[in-house]
Amino acid sequence: MSDPSEALASAKAAADRISKAKRLNACLTPIKDLRKSLVAQAQAAHPSGVLYGMPVAVKDNICTLEFTTTCGSKILGGYHSPYEASACAKLKAAGALIAGKTNCDEFGMGSSTEHSAYGRSLHPFDKTRVPGGSSGGSAALVAAGAVPAALGSETGGSVRQPASLCGVVGIKPTYGRVSRYGLVAFGSSLDQIGVLGRSVHDAARVLSVISGRDPRDSTCEDRDSLRLPTVPESLQGFVIGIPKEYFPTDLDPAVRRACDRAIRLLKELGAAVREVSLPHTAYAIATYYIVAPAEASSNLARYDGARYGPRFNGSEDVRALYRTTRGEGFGAEVRRRVMLGTYVLSSGYYDAYYRKAQQMRALIAQDFRNVFDRGVDLLFTPTTPTPAFKAGEKLDDPVSMYLSDIFTVTANLAGLPAISIPIGRVKGLPLGGQIVGQAFLEDEMLEAAYALERVVPALEEA
Amino acid sequence: MSVTHDEVRKIARLAELDVAEEALPVLAEQMSRILEYVAQINAVPASEGVKPFIPGPDAVRFRPDEVKPSGLAFGPAELAPAFKDGFFLVPKLGAFEEPEL
Repeated sequence: MSDPSEALASAKAAADRISKAKRLNACLTPIKDLRKSLVAQAQAAHPSGVLYGMPVAVKDNICTLEFTTTCGSKILGGYHSPYEASACAKLKAAGALIAGKTNCDEFGMGSSTEHSAYGRSLHPFDKTRVPGGSSGGSAALVAAGAVPAALGSETGGSVRQPASLCGVVGIKPTYGRVSRYGLVAFGSSLDQIGVLGRSVHDAARVLSVISGRDPRDSTCEDRDSLRLPTVPESLQGFVIGIPKEYFPTDLDPAVRRACDRAIRLLKELGAAVREVSLPHTAYAIATYYIVAPAEASSNLARYDGARYGPRFNGSEDVRALYRTTRGEGFGAEVRRRVMLGTYVLSSGYYDAYYRKAQQMRALIAQDFRNVFDRGVDLLFTPTTPTPAFKAGEKLDDPVSMYLSDIFTVTANLAGLPAISIPIGRVKGLPLGGQIVGQAFLEDEMLEAAYALERVVPALEEA
Repeated sequence: MSVTHDEVRKIARLAELDVAEEALPVLAEQMSRILEYVAQINAVPASEGVKPFIPGPDAVRFRPDEVKPSGLAFGPAELAPAFKDGFFLVPKLGAFEEPEL
């Protein structure tokens, strides 16, 4: 596309499709504002850009100049950022259109998009179920066909898990591959911007555009943007490891069937498949739920009602202002995690929890290095232990909710790239398979994903 | 691992969060369950020799120390709940001495 009239038509069509998907509560931007902005963006877009006219929705914890950035939280209600994320600036420079802000669990803390101050998002195929989270709005919007791709963010699986539950592709890049300038911080040693797309190609080309060096983010590696691989004819020469810890005896039978089928297809494509072990996997969720809340309790200290966002009473003195603003502005899950983080960092508990978790994280990362050092190129696992669950099912049981990320958190802890692609269905609900790559070798991971996507019967029952 | 109501109150104060008294039982019960779950990492033998894993560049890259415009589309006056003459306005400071936590 390079014709301005086509970009304008694309903008208007995207606004219509997002409007039709309104029942999902996936897009937080009022449709009137969205339509107006999309038209203006299409008129100003760069026709020579590789994403010219492509509408890309953006998770509401990524700063944009066009729309508010609330992080799904009351404490940032109505917040307009005075700057935009580098990822959004790169999208616009490539001619893409920012197609509104998507609903999410508050500050990215959740696995169901039920923890949003703006109401839960619905699963596009079954409104009684969740779309996953925390990038559930982005996943639902892509799955509903409203946009070809959307930005999400990951701290423990928040792109791949909703992608798996909604039947779309979700990519978490290597830590340091994409600038986080303008991504509202949750767990700084884990956070990454990721991409959801209706196909590997759509997601990968958006990732390619937003990747690469950025002097505004010192954690972003000084590397060129990702070069996209071509679709391979076969996977001859690839060694794919199947970590046995990701296939426990009590794994959902449909998930196992879908994975077995995908593994068979990987072999038929020419890959050498071998069982491997990542022995510290069992401790990943426990490690994550110490490290991430500890970092969150520090990162979220800035929300105090003094500098930005609404102020909630507490005029008695400045501490009362902080406490009432934070007490009323944060939702239940954020309060719980901030308190958990404060607890594990507090005097007397630091060594038993935080220090120990840092050591566990190192052992988990070492597990991956050991496997890759023995000639394995990629790993294949289920993305989620079950298909989409019912809304409300896990709300009162935080540990049960946390366990829905059991197969995704390890890549975040180890800083590795990973992708979820649809590999089948159970009773009409999508299931995802995950390919984990080596740091900064997203091209190999994408090659395998391209090849598998082409042959896997993603819409068939497993 | 059992977290008491008093411990929840103490953590809430450290975290600068108002927590309603009626919310304490549920919070204490949920935090106890979460802490009991995460404590399983202590079952792994002590690993004192293990260096913490920190992803990202090996060294922090420094930028030239130059004064540049902020690049913000608008200033803090438009963001802050209360702002005057270049200052954020907040209520008076309370007592510095807080009761023993």
